[in-house]
Amino acid sequence: MSRDLSTGGAINEAIAIAMRSDPDVILMGEDVAGGGDRSKDGTEEMGGVLGTTRGLIGEFGMNRVRDTPIAEMGLLGTAVGAAATGLRPIAELMFMDFLGTGLDPLLNQASKLRYMFGGKVKVPLTVRTVSGAGMQAAAQHSQSLYWMTTGIPGLKTVIPSSPADAKGLLLASIRDDDPVIFCEAKGILNQVGPVPEDDYEIPLGVANVVREGSDVSLVGFGATVGIAMKAAKALEGAGTSAEVLDLRSLSPLDESAILTSLEKAGRMVVIDESTPRCSIARDVAALCVDRGFDFLNAPVKCVTAPHTPVPFSRALEKAFMPSAQDVLDAVAEMG
Amino acid sequence: MELSRDTLLETYRRMRTIRAFEEKLHELVVAGKIGGFMHLYAGQEAVAVGVCSNLGDEDLVGSTHRGHGHCIAKGVDVKAMIAELFGRSTGTNKGKGGSMHIADVDRGMLGANGIVGGGIPLVTGAALTAQVKDSGRVAVGFFGDGATNQGQFHESLTMAANWKLPAVYVCENNGFGEFTPTEFVVPVKDIVERAASYGMRAEIADGMDFFDVYEKAGRAIELARQGEGPTLLECKTYRFHGHYVGDATPYRNKEEAEDWIQNRDPLDLFERKVTESGVVAGGDLREVDGEVDALLRSAVEEAESAPNPEPSDVLTDVYVEYPS
Amino acid sequence: MASAIHMPRLGMTMEEGTVVEWPVAPGSPIAHGDVVLVIETEKAETDVESPVSGFLRHTYVEPGETVPCGTLLAAITETADEPFDADAFHAAENRPEEASGGGGLEVHAPSAPAAAEDAPSVPRDKPVAPAARAAARRLGIDPAAVPGSGPGGRVTKQDVEAWAAAREALVPVADGVALEVLAEGEGDTVVLLPGLGTDVSVFARQTPELAARFRVLGINPRGVGLSDAPDDDAYEVARTAADAAAAFDGAAHVIGASLGAAAAIELALGHPDRVRSLTLVTPFTEASPRLLSVADGWRRLAREAAPETLAAALLPWFFSSALLDDERARARTERGLAQTLGRVSAATLDRAVAGMRAWSGTRPDALGDLSVPTLVVAAGEDLLTPGGAALAEAIPGAKLCMVEAAGHAVALESADEVNAAIAAHLASVD
Repeated sequence: MSRDLSTGGAINEAIAIAMRSDPDVILMGEDVAGGGDRSKDGTEEMGGVLGTTRGLIGEFGMNRVRDTPIAEMGLLGTAVGAAATGLRPIAELMFMDFLGTGLDPLLNQASKLRYMFGGKVKVPLTVRTVSGAGMQAAAQHSQSLYWMTTGIPGLKTVIPSSPADAKGLLLASIRDDDPVIFCEAKGILNQVGPVPEDDYEIPLGVANVVREGSDVSLVGFGATVGIAMKAAKALEGAGTSAEVLDLRSLSPLDESAILTSLEKAGRMVVIDESTPRCSIARDVAALCVDRGFDFLNAPVKCVTAPHTPVPFSRALEKAFMPSAQDVLDAVAEMG
Repeated sequence: MELSRDTLLETYRRMRTIRAFEEKLHELVVAGKIGGFMHLYAGQEAVAVGVCSNLGDEDLVGSTHRGHGHCIAKGVDVKAMIAELFGRSTGTNKGKGGSMHIADVDRGMLGANGIVGGGIPLVTGAALTAQVKDSGRVAVGFFGDGATNQGQFHESLTMAANWKLPAVYVCENNGFGEFTPTEFVVPVKDIVERAASYGMRAEIADGMDFFDVYEKAGRAIELARQGEGPTLLECKTYRFHGHYVGDATPYRNKEEAEDWIQNRDPLDLFERKVTESGVVAGGDLREVDGEVDALLRSAVEEAESAPNPEPSDVLTDVYVEYPS
Repeated sequence: MASAIHMPRLGMTMEEGTVVEWPVAPGSPIAHGDVVLVIETEKAETDVESPVSGFLRHTYVEPGETVPCGTLLAAITETADEPFDADAFHAAENRPEEASGGGGLEVHAPSAPAAAEDAPSVPRDKPVAPAARAAARRLGIDPAAVPGSGPGGRVTKQDVEAWAAAREALVPVADGVALEVLAEGEGDTVVLLPGLGTDVSVFARQTPELAARFRVLGINPRGVGLSDAPDDDAYEVARTAADAAAAFDGAAHVIGASLGAAAAIELALGHPDRVRSLTLVTPFTEASPRLLSVADGWRRLAREAAPETLAAALLPWFFSSALLDDERARARTERGLAQTLGRVSAATLDRAVAGMRAWSGTRPDALGDLSVPTLVVAAGEDLLTPGGAALAEAIPGAKLCMVEAAGHAVALESADEVNAAIAAHLASVD
């Protein structure tokens, strides 16, 4: 049975299921409980700035749902230490931009402890974080920095594109024995869709063909899957059959799914919300050139944000973010 | 002297092992037999051993780039440590960590840490695990005076105090952050003054005196175990070598260094106290010296003949599971 | 037993050091911790203490010498006179560290794809998609011969596959040469012969009307479209005519444009029984200096520029002022022309132009020998072959259709008038 939930609601449900099924799972972060009178039933708490974790303090209590100080390095470092010693923490990094104040525990600890220790420790940590533009949150609250975590060996980076995927991928991330950065793209947080009620996991590292097509492959992840779908429908009207591939996780990257789609269509557009340099889009394009050269019927096109900070004004933010029209233009340009 | 003869001998063995280990390393590095950045713990033995003598196997410690002493004090196998420093596959970390990441989680040793202050939140997390699971374990973080300027120190101690975590934060104030005297970069006279801003208990110990460290750490660890929250324990100590092997310490006051090394050596202090009390004889200690030297000799011999990791091992231990 | 003293590594950046002095003479006793030598690194002079007590037995490096870290500097023996082999000790203990960087690199020859040696070379300026190259390798064909449908004439995988499939249907006309013959309609045969550097698409506006009454065979000559492009120095006009004759049975109405008209004349002269009627669109027997000059420029542009550029450059030579003045018609025509031009390689152009030069001026006196009913279509703004009307006069009984407001590509530009004239001409022959 499934019913309609927002992506935020699906994430809340996944956390609750994970915490019910495993007492080692805890939730920690800035405002994850969110104030309130702890002697009451947990209905006063805010549950995070976007309300995603609302109500969990009521069910799981203060021992397992912990408001931390606004101290990203301390909270993430403590979560790493807890993960290395027997807990399975879900730590919330309110916005991905705050990697700036919280990076060391991920860059130098979580990602490397297992390797440095010769495989003698595991770090089953999930860091949930909100990424991307679209809420007029401007330059310090809108970045898509998953390219950064994807580039760090030892971390996994996951980014769902729908409410149902968010639930299944988050459950898999929490239960994964490696540190996972789970990106919640602003563009899909309020998206509503059918979400199965049961406890299910979507495996990490397996991309999803959202739409079959034969003329061009549109590769997206997170919020750009919706952009790709919109472009695919427009292309269909013009007689071009577009495939849409949702990467779902950026590390591990489902390289064979990308190459299979490229082989089928011979043309590919990669759509990435982040800025272009060192981006996932260009990483995928490089993969296609390196390992899919003989499949290329046209240059691989990258549709990304420009190499600028994220602007505030609605008009500027719209110009910053990749759009379905950009995808159509890229398809026209590649011939 | 409330400690038994056996305990005192074991204590001496650990301190002596640390000292001999570090002197042997110095020799091996200078001779070019061991590579990498090497930070020696000699001079600070009373801190590691004084604290860890209060801990059980199940308790946890986090360490620093100067971490060999903490490993030995926590009971990590010396032969595996030497093998690690030689980069052998038989090392504690299978040759993947080296001096700055030497670790043995099975012995509750959460690793040396190449990032100054990097181990502090890890220990805080270990204490969080202990609290959530109500396991009765205590987590102890070692760090230097330099690390107390790091954000990770302040953020972690704030959190630990908020949550009354079963943690003890041991600052080994050896007077220098790398080459810079602590007084140049730390605006308080004693590190313990910083504890007031977290509402945390704090105490100063003589880091050259095993018995003082042992007693004060013991009290802090017991309080943590009882759910009374964390303590900041500052141990005043001295680094006998430079920041790393090869640091000729031109920045250091020679008379002051001479005074610490000649007159306040923690092993000498310990020996004087235990022999004067009559519980242990000087001959007993010389016997330990011989055993320690023999242990290190065979550790080096075994490490030198141990296999290197295979080049393909570069790819393993990155993830528990990672589809290719 | 001897102990070794090596050049120590003091600090992370030290790679070598210089021996400054040996304060103790060889053979002298030395105690653990005594200064045994002084070295100089990039930073400072440093005393090196003896790691053991004994006798400084042998020194290997003289003061002033600079050696890498790990180099054996001295041996200390426990006693002054125990047996000691300085060379053997050196062999066992000297361990100079390699400077960072270092050799031991191996350069491997690039692994060539299996078919690389046999694969025809694709001109650098011919854009061929990697997938098309792979498909061409697989199908054993030369991607350079495949006309491209992508931007800039890029050959795609689909182009290669379509070309390979179409080649199955080619008509053999000579030893090892097969031509692309596009057939449409039923009835008596009409043969279409396109002009220099173009394919039968130049008759696009004649074909539907003709196909309603005739079996139309559009013959792409050598090197054009899918037709084979043998590596000849020139594609002689008589050869083009012979190829055409081999591509149809019986007798046909033959329509040729420009250089295609030249082939039609050759066909009618050589095989009058195979030609029921002739339609010569903007024909010539002597290539004008302007035509030759344009053809040479065309050849160069075909090598250096994309078909789109080529089309833009040639458009004014092919069409009337009126068409060029109509922006939409001009843009549409330019796009169509680019596609047509993209189907002919620069090498084919070279050969066709060489054939044209050789033929030019060889047949003016033979026009009187033409014995088949002939229609000449000429254009008032034809800059390339302006002598159409005069040529019509030289052919016995030839009719002339003069379209005043059209350029050289009159069949495309003024299709209605041209189609009407052709229809009347063919009807008069029946």
